[in-house]
Amino acid sequence: MFKDLEPQKITLSEWSEQFRQIEDAIISKYTYYDNNKWGAYLQPPASFMVYGARELRRLKFDNSFAALRLWGFVFNESERLFRAHQSKKKIIATMGDLGIVPIIVLAFPNCIPFYPECIWWTPFFNESTVLLDKASELGAPEAACFARAVLAAYFKKAYFPKPDRIFASTGATCDDFSSIMQSVEHLGYDIIWLEVPQRRDSVKHTQSEPSVKTTDGYEYPKRYEEYLVKEYERVWAEMAKLTGVDEKKFLRQSIKKANRLRRVVTSIKTMSAEADIAPFPALELMTIEFGNLYGYADIDEWLDILEAVKETITKRVKNNKGVLSKDAVPIAWISPSPDPYLLNYVEDMGLRVVETEYVINQALVEIDEGLDHFRALARSFMQASLIGSTAQRISSINKAMRTGKIEGILITNMLGGSHCAMETKLMERLLQDKPVLAIDVPAPFGITEQVKTRLQAFAEVLHERRK
Amino acid sequence: MELTPTPEELQSGLIGYTCPYIPVEIIAATGQRPYCLLHGNYDLMQQGTLYARIDACPLVRANIAYILNNQKKFVALIGTTGCDMSHRMFDILSEHTDIPLFILHMPRTDNKEIFYDEIDWLINQLEDLTGKKITDRLGQEIEKWEIIRNQYRKFDRKRSAVPSIISSSDFHAVAKHYYQGQIKGPLTITENPSSQPRVYLIGSEISYESNDFLELLETQFRIVGDFTCGISQFINVSITEPNLNGIKQTYYNQTPCPYRRPNTAFYQHIADQVKNQKCHGVVGFTLDYCDAYEFEMKHLEKTLEIPILRIRNDYSFQKISQLKTRIAAFGELLCSRI
Repeated sequence: MFKDLEPQKITLSEWSEQFRQIEDAIISKYTYYDNNKWGAYLQPPASFMVYGARELRRLKFDNSFAALRLWGFVFNESERLFRAHQSKKKIIATMGDLGIVPIIVLAFPNCIPFYPECIWWTPFFNESTVLLDKASELGAPEAACFARAVLAAYFKKAYFPKPDRIFASTGATCDDFSSIMQSVEHLGYDIIWLEVPQRRDSVKHTQSEPSVKTTDGYEYPKRYEEYLVKEYERVWAEMAKLTGVDEKKFLRQSIKKANRLRRVVTSIKTMSAEADIAPFPALELMTIEFGNLYGYADIDEWLDILEAVKETITKRVKNNKGVLSKDAVPIAWISPSPDPYLLNYVEDMGLRVVETEYVINQALVEIDEGLDHFRALARSFMQASLIGSTAQRISSINKAMRTGKIEGILITNMLGGSHCAMETKLMERLLQDKPVLAIDVPAPFGITEQVKTRLQAFAEVLHERRK
Repeated sequence: MELTPTPEELQSGLIGYTCPYIPVEIIAATGQRPYCLLHGNYDLMQQGTLYARIDACPLVRANIAYILNNQKKFVALIGTTGCDMSHRMFDILSEHTDIPLFILHMPRTDNKEIFYDEIDWLINQLEDLTGKKITDRLGQEIEKWEIIRNQYRKFDRKRSAVPSIISSSDFHAVAKHYYQGQIKGPLTITENPSSQPRVYLIGSEISYESNDFLELLETQFRIVGDFTCGISQFINVSITEPNLNGIKQTYYNQTPCPYRRPNTAFYQHIADQVKNQKCHGVVGFTLDYCDAYEFEMKHLEKTLEIPILRIRNDYSFQKISQLKTRIAAFGELLCSRI
């Protein structure tokens, strides 16, 4: 068995060296879809660089075996989806809602949900503007969220198989992605549209109506939940029609599994944030957080990987070991960075990410297993990051700030992204007790000295404030 | 019916609104003046960057500044989730002003139940705010606003006649009265026949301050129809049942904005308009960072199969000479095809 070394972040070539010590029997042990013939996914990260993810050579990775499994599995996703398609599984694209529709899809046998928008990392990992250029050719403006890469991926048909169904959530969502999804439909794909309501604060209004309170304490009109329940029932009916299966008990199991995943991730996040020394790097933690959306197209294996990650972190915390120096300054990160390099770079500057708001709160909260299934899912979605006010969105950051848990806030924006453009200045105002740095993430391979200097200066300010 | 404002109307405050799906009749029934937030003044826009980033919609930035500069005029503000930046404008305003704010969830899919419920909710809120029983005055307001819209429909018929008899820049100048809820009597537009190429205008909001831009366009061709907030979109609202149900149905069923998913009805409407109005070309105007139209322009070109002049701007028209050249070239192109 491979024995973890002292925790640290290592380069691709260091990982390749380390990988040589792993026995073949171990490599073949870890498979997706439980398939021993073609499901093995353990590879040295360098092999993914050879396949095209050129940015990997600039990145550093956690050196644990759990992290090796994580990266092998995540980078293998495209292959996994094509394999699933070949083996007659139904591929279901769930776009826009970030966290709920896949739970319904997973209640149907041999159905694999995935989020095409997660391809927004691909241009950065590949240091290539091919997808973004194609998206522009297809009509996407250049000043729009990098998720526009999805449009090109649908066009090229090389990044994921043609989905058997496409569910797209629109409504109180960002305009960029709503427009991207519409452009996908213009390409000729059939889309089943779902309505996502806003989370209007019902307390603010004097003429009240029946309301529901989220676990975060925000009240919203109950009828919004009713609309969502109807939408989820539509998803169910569509999936039942597609598969010929209509067994609600599987939805119960699916919700339980999603909750298990969410609990593991919460525990990983909490342990990582509370440890004296950061036990796991920010890039891996972001990847873990986003796994909550759909388990990277094999939720069972993903859960197993996360249990291994949790075990690794638990050991490290117990031994007071970690991957960053003890004096790394804790910060919060608002909006995910499409460029993974930034997460590495920030740590190189002596900062440590302990609180995040990656626009997927709905995928992190536990689903109430005591409620009717669709209502439970609706209530979970009503805690979504982008359907309420900015103040609500950053409430957890504010809370952490008040308790002294974080010493600065980094906001990563996309030029032209509708919520980025409108929320950033308001966030800066609402978080004014601590230093806030807001940066625009440049296009692939575009992190210039200017961006680096701003990050360095931010880190210096935070370190200086400690003296 | 008399269109001259009553003394009460003259003293009324403004209820600002952002979206053509918000019924002016309901606002007017509160005794307050419906005022569409369509500001695109360059200075306001610059002021707005204190509150929103430079890549925020120019209209939204200008509106924020206008509202904050004129807070005392506004009794309330009503928005929708129809457009994300416009919706999020209310978040910013809630931090900087005490003006009561109401945001309707405007369904982006075909879901009239949500729209109807939201209109009921809005009425409750406005009745509570103003102390006026809105439903009591609704019939009267519907009748009044229909008379007003009929005047504009007459203008529109002249505008789209062959040859076109009135210009869109003149139409826009009088449409301002509608959007600002200030109809003081019968409206007039001087006839100005034109046999220039006929063009349809599609795109982002044409602000109150954009009349010069329309005049510039019409130096080379005549805009005989449009689908933009800020010129004539409201004439598509025609309420036949003079009650709340009539308002809900009519506003919901108006030509859907491009954000309705799927947006096939929007495309159908545009294609019909371009054909029926015998247009030679289309001007696609997009404000900087306006996803609603930016993303659609390519598909519009493909669908309509007639020449399209795409203009992207932020209302500042700083590159006016370049713009003049492009407009002139487009005019020449259209002339060569007639």
